[in-house]
Amino acid sequence: MSEAVADPGSFRDPSGRIYQVGGQVFRTITDYAAKDYEFVRDTGVLERLCDDGKVIASKSVSRDVLGFEGRSARYVVEHPRLPFISYPYEWSFPALKAAALLHLDVHIAALDAGVTLSDATAYNVQFLGANPVFIDLLSFRQYREGEIWTGHRQFCEQFVNPLLLRAKLGVTHNAWYRGTQEGISARDLHQVLPWTKKLSRNVLIHVVAQSALQKSATASGARNAIGNASLPLSALQKMLSGLRQWIETLEPADTGKTVWQNYAGSHSYTDDEVEGKKKFIAEFAAETKPSVIWDLGCNSGDYSKVALENGAEYAVGFDFDHGALERAFARARAEDLKFQATFFDGANPSPNQGWSENERQGLAARANADVLVALALIHHFAIGKNLPLRGVVNWLVGLAPEGVIEFVPKGDPMVNELLALREDIFPNYTEKGFVQYLTDCAEIVTTSVPTKSGRKMFRYKRKQ
Amino acid sequence: MLNIKTVFGGLALVLAFDLNQPAYAYLDPGTGSIILQLLLGGVAGLAVVGKLYWQRVREFFGLSEKKTPEKSVQPTNE
Repeated sequence: MSEAVADPGSFRDPSGRIYQVGGQVFRTITDYAAKDYEFVRDTGVLERLCDDGKVIASKSVSRDVLGFEGRSARYVVEHPRLPFISYPYEWSFPALKAAALLHLDVHIAALDAGVTLSDATAYNVQFLGANPVFIDLLSFRQYREGEIWTGHRQFCEQFVNPLLLRAKLGVTHNAWYRGTQEGISARDLHQVLPWTKKLSRNVLIHVVAQSALQKSATASGARNAIGNASLPLSALQKMLSGLRQWIETLEPADTGKTVWQNYAGSHSYTDDEVEGKKKFIAEFAAETKPSVIWDLGCNSGDYSKVALENGAEYAVGFDFDHGALERAFARARAEDLKFQATFFDGANPSPNQGWSENERQGLAARANADVLVALALIHHFAIGKNLPLRGVVNWLVGLAPEGVIEFVPKGDPMVNELLALREDIFPNYTEKGFVQYLTDCAEIVTTSVPTKSGRKMFRYKRKQ
Repeated sequence: MLNIKTVFGGLALVLAFDLNQPAYAYLDPGTGSIILQLLLGGVAGLAVVGKLYWQRVREFFGLSEKKTPEKSVQPTNE
């Protein structure tokens, strides 16, 4: 039996932690949390929320599955393995909004069963396609009459304030969130919002008032307040439903169309060439039948969809353009695709970070794809970002053992555009050079018929 | 509907007697949220918050001496 390995990101909660054994995922429940866990389990609310797809499934298993690590646990449950773990700084605006609404829905439903949530971290939400799912069983505990909502500040920092940054100022949350990891504080948002953007009841309450009250109270005052703090259940429910109603209305501030938002309708291919490209990806997916396919530079997900329709089980898309990601998210929702569109900048992917630089994993550490496709991408790295072509090829091939990479040569309208205002300092950016680098680390299985501008897809298999 | 009048009535009370107060580094990070919820909870919460700031109201009117932060006690080797 494989050894139980504790998840490096699961250590804050004394109630238990996540372990992996082989490919399976287990959660321990310690003595500290046993009473609350039993209470919550017996209400049946978790099953109901799980049936609705809102909370991850959990199955009670023997403590023995964890060997020595299981001996200190009162209970052990098994969760289904998620195809890809993502973090809030990798989500698009609609994804963060969907996660916020899910969090509130789960809390509201739990309260009806006499259960509350002990925290409100966005890291407790993961995605299956475009559907958020709540993953932390141990956030649930018995509600005690009159208790305040301890997760309110965290909910504002990790959900509300990042959403407001985009909704009020048109600034995406991702860079800031990745920097702090814990979201945006009320004080910081209060500082950057102009007063004209604060003239809303909810902004005044959750940002302005919270920030002012936070600033004005001393620690000893806070202890007094906590000692006497009481929030009637009806007021808590009103707070949650009020936030839900408000967040539902939040939309990105109109800052104009992004560069790639309409790429699928305005690219440089002819219709026949698009069909040829789709056919090539369809055949690739049908032959490899991947459990997980990574689609780098996914745009709104045309090719992920083709792969899913032809044998791929789950697609994770990556793009740096928020307009494209928002379209991708909307499409995955509307068509119920197992397609998870994720924000990423290939030249600066998410690093390992957090406590001990290990709490949140970087992209490479999460590279679990069976195959990847990187279409119309390589010129953005090699020319747009000045990354060495050999390094780009090695990096892509390192992410998945099999895949399809499209080479876009000089002379293609998109490459011409990248070079329009700058000197061509890329003498090695040629198909010949690309093939040389690719064959150094992989075998070329097949290639597509080149398009009129000379674009060609290369299907590779990594050398052992 | 959240009771914004209570919140801002309470907030006005707090800020009126709280000008130029430094934000202490050792604040409980959830303090603002807790007091906010007390205000959202209605009249009973307002009373608690009023009590919380009562000392400052007294200081403002010169009814009690201003509290100064305690000096840290240096350990000695004696």
